[in-house]
Amino acid sequence: MGTINSAFILISGALDADQAALNIVANNVANANTVGYTEETPNSQENQPIEIGGVSYGTGVTETGATSVRDRVLTERLDQQQQLASASGSRLAALNTVQALFTPDSGSSSSTAGDIGSDITAFFSSFSALEANPTNDALRQKVLSTATTLAGDVSNAAASLNSQSAALDQEATGVTSQVNSLTGDIAQLNQQIQSTSPNADAGTLEDQRQQDLSQLSQLIGINQITTENNGLSIATTSGQLLVSEGSSFQLTTGSVSGVTHFYVGTTDITQQLTSGGGELGGYLTARDKDIPSVLSSLDQLAYSVSTNVNALNNAGTDMDGVTGTVANPLYIFNQPASGAVAGSASNMSVVMKDPNQIAAAALGQGTGDNTNAVAMANLANQSLIAPSATTTFSMTQNLDSAGGTATGNVTVYDALGKSYNATVTYTNTAPNTWNYSISMPDVISANTSVAGQVSYSFGAGETVNPGTNLTITGLAGGLPSTITAPAVTAGESLGAVGTAGTYADDLNNKLIGAGIAGVTVSTAGGVLTIQGGTGIAGNVIADPVASLNAAGTLQFNPVNGSLTSPAANVSGITFADLSDGASALNLDWSLFAADGSGNISQSAAPSSQSAQSQDGIAGGKGNQTPSDFFSSLVSTLGSTVSQVQTENTAENASVTQLQTQNSALSSVNLNNEASSMQVLERSYQAASQVFTMLNTIIASALNLGVETAVS
Amino acid sequence: MEEHGECRLHPGLKKMVEQASRALALLDADRLEELALSCQALSRGLAAGAHADVASQAREAVGDMAVFARVLEVTRANLNVMRRLQDLRDGRLEYGVPQTKDWTRTENTHGDN
Repeated sequence: MGTINSAFILISGALDADQAALNIVANNVANANTVGYTEETPNSQENQPIEIGGVSYGTGVTETGATSVRDRVLTERLDQQQQLASASGSRLAALNTVQALFTPDSGSSSSTAGDIGSDITAFFSSFSALEANPTNDALRQKVLSTATTLAGDVSNAAASLNSQSAALDQEATGVTSQVNSLTGDIAQLNQQIQSTSPNADAGTLEDQRQQDLSQLSQLIGINQITTENNGLSIATTSGQLLVSEGSSFQLTTGSVSGVTHFYVGTTDITQQLTSGGGELGGYLTARDKDIPSVLSSLDQLAYSVSTNVNALNNAGTDMDGVTGTVANPLYIFNQPASGAVAGSASNMSVVMKDPNQIAAAALGQGTGDNTNAVAMANLANQSLIAPSATTTFSMTQNLDSAGGTATGNVTVYDALGKSYNATVTYTNTAPNTWNYSISMPDVISANTSVAGQVSYSFGAGETVNPGTNLTITGLAGGLPSTITAPAVTAGESLGAVGTAGTYADDLNNKLIGAGIAGVTVSTAGGVLTIQGGTGIAGNVIADPVASLNAAGTLQFNPVNGSLTSPAANVSGITFADLSDGASALNLDWSLFAADGSGNISQSAAPSSQSAQSQDGIAGGKGNQTPSDFFSSLVSTLGSTVSQVQTENTAENASVTQLQTQNSALSSVNLNNEASSMQVLERSYQAASQVFTMLNTIIASALNLGVETAVS
Repeated sequence: MEEHGECRLHPGLKKMVEQASRALALLDADRLEELALSCQALSRGLAAGAHADVASQAREAVGDMAVFARVLEVTRANLNVMRRLQDLRDGRLEYGVPQTKDWTRTENTHGDN
């Protein structure tokens, strides 16, 4: 390459490359403030050297374009975190509105939903006041006015919740058009990128696509799948395609019982979108889960108060000596239809116009009697709210796996509010064949753990049976160490030894019949005590424990994963003869496709995601007074808000951190990038130290309740 | 600055935890290291029998600790992503196309853009 011409070519090539690089730098500067623009760096390629006479001569460099400084792993992570943050953000906003509804407004003279707690107290207190002077007209008026306030606040709260739900429905619907617009744009960009830059970064086109993806991530939960030639497919987190390279699939809406559902094609994906993330996920979670939960509790409160108060008033005698009849009931509140809990809050109102119709007197008593007023005042302290707690558990297994086992636990409650821990075990015996067994220890825990003695507490009105077997060890003389406890009979009371027909007497007779001497049975204050005789050393009486079991086999269709046997839904396993005397405990039990796409037992599952999960739902968790129930409602709501707030704070922090890292990655200076990573490492390490120390200090202080020395 | 000084003088647990979460979200390593020193000081103070109200402060701070724990958790996850990303870019992972830190970028470190 000894010629001047060659030298000029080499120099001009280098100048061209420099000029192209300068153009790229200039472009970076011009777009410094463009949202979503990613810094580009020039690529230079060494020209092929030429060889003359065994000597290799360089031919300079050629500019081959620009590469944007981006990393899809990081941007995808950022998008995912954005989805979570957006979901918790929109859900939190909705929850805050709901919580504000139940917050007392001390500055307001009018009563609101926040005053329901004090309304309940005022209403039942008005009956207490009436007790002293049951014929007093002003006191009777007071009963009706407090009832009106309570009913008004409850029904207004229900109306507000329904309005909020409708507003969320609107918000969620509004997201659809934004999603469709973005997926359409991304499909178009895919086409452009695939045709212009199939093997390299598409620069500003890719910037636009990333920008759209970021916006889409704020709206709904998505998964990104990179395809050939720099293409991209987008699916919902449950796998429903929204964009497949150059094609997009519209998200449509339809009304189901007045509620907007979301579809891709004909598939209803509302449930999947709810748990998927993004603003839409947050709106739907609040609309379909949070608000219905609060509304359901409010319905229960309204139903229980209305029906119980009405029943008592109807059974008493009013100021005119009248008692309620079917044709002319003496109802204070609008009476819900039997069992129709849903809608009770919205419909709660006072139907009684004449205060003389308040039945302060008991049936058959004169109008000056206050017996019924006393009973109604006492309702404030009674457990009016019917049990309704739900506990769930879930497990996931590949249906066609061989030899798999899965075990789950669920706490269930019987009608008396006693809890039981059921264990459900699934064992795979062949592909798509699973044996299930459900066992539930039927236990009443003893009050005492003194050797030779056990005692049990029973609430007023409970029928009793401490268990199937009572084990006594250490007996001399070859006496039987185990007796079968007497079976409980309906309505049987704890009673006392010596009183025929009572449980304690039956148990005592059983011990005598088994030849067990020196073991005494006694009752006092609702406590049953079984004690070893002092003359028999080493007697131990163990807690009676029994297990209830159910078992069977489930057969699944190997093609689509649907449940083929048993043919009917397997829900509704019933356990009877419970130790606390409750008549039965129903464990409602269903099988669901693990991806939430449908109930396997009810309809064909979309096949080979092949998994199962179960929900255990049973009974109620204790009964509560109206005031306690409302307090619990507010407290549960507060706890949910707090939990979502925590999630949202953390997710936003995560987004902030990732944005910092992403900026560093796109920065012009490699040193900045390394430094940013170091800052992340340093921050994490320092925060870990802070957390560890604070956690120790706080845990110690809380455990000891006093100032704590921490080294 | 006033906030920092105040914290050093009387690092209320709740406030301290709040600040730690905020600093971690913003990756303010200096502030976090300062807070770590404050924690040590607090620990020494407690050992010496100071701050009789620490139990009530601890109760107040429990909710904020839950937030801090979650922020720490997401930071760890982010850090893992960044570490893997760095490995990937440095060609230390088996999969993926190693992305070289091309020489052209070092040419752009003049601060001119």
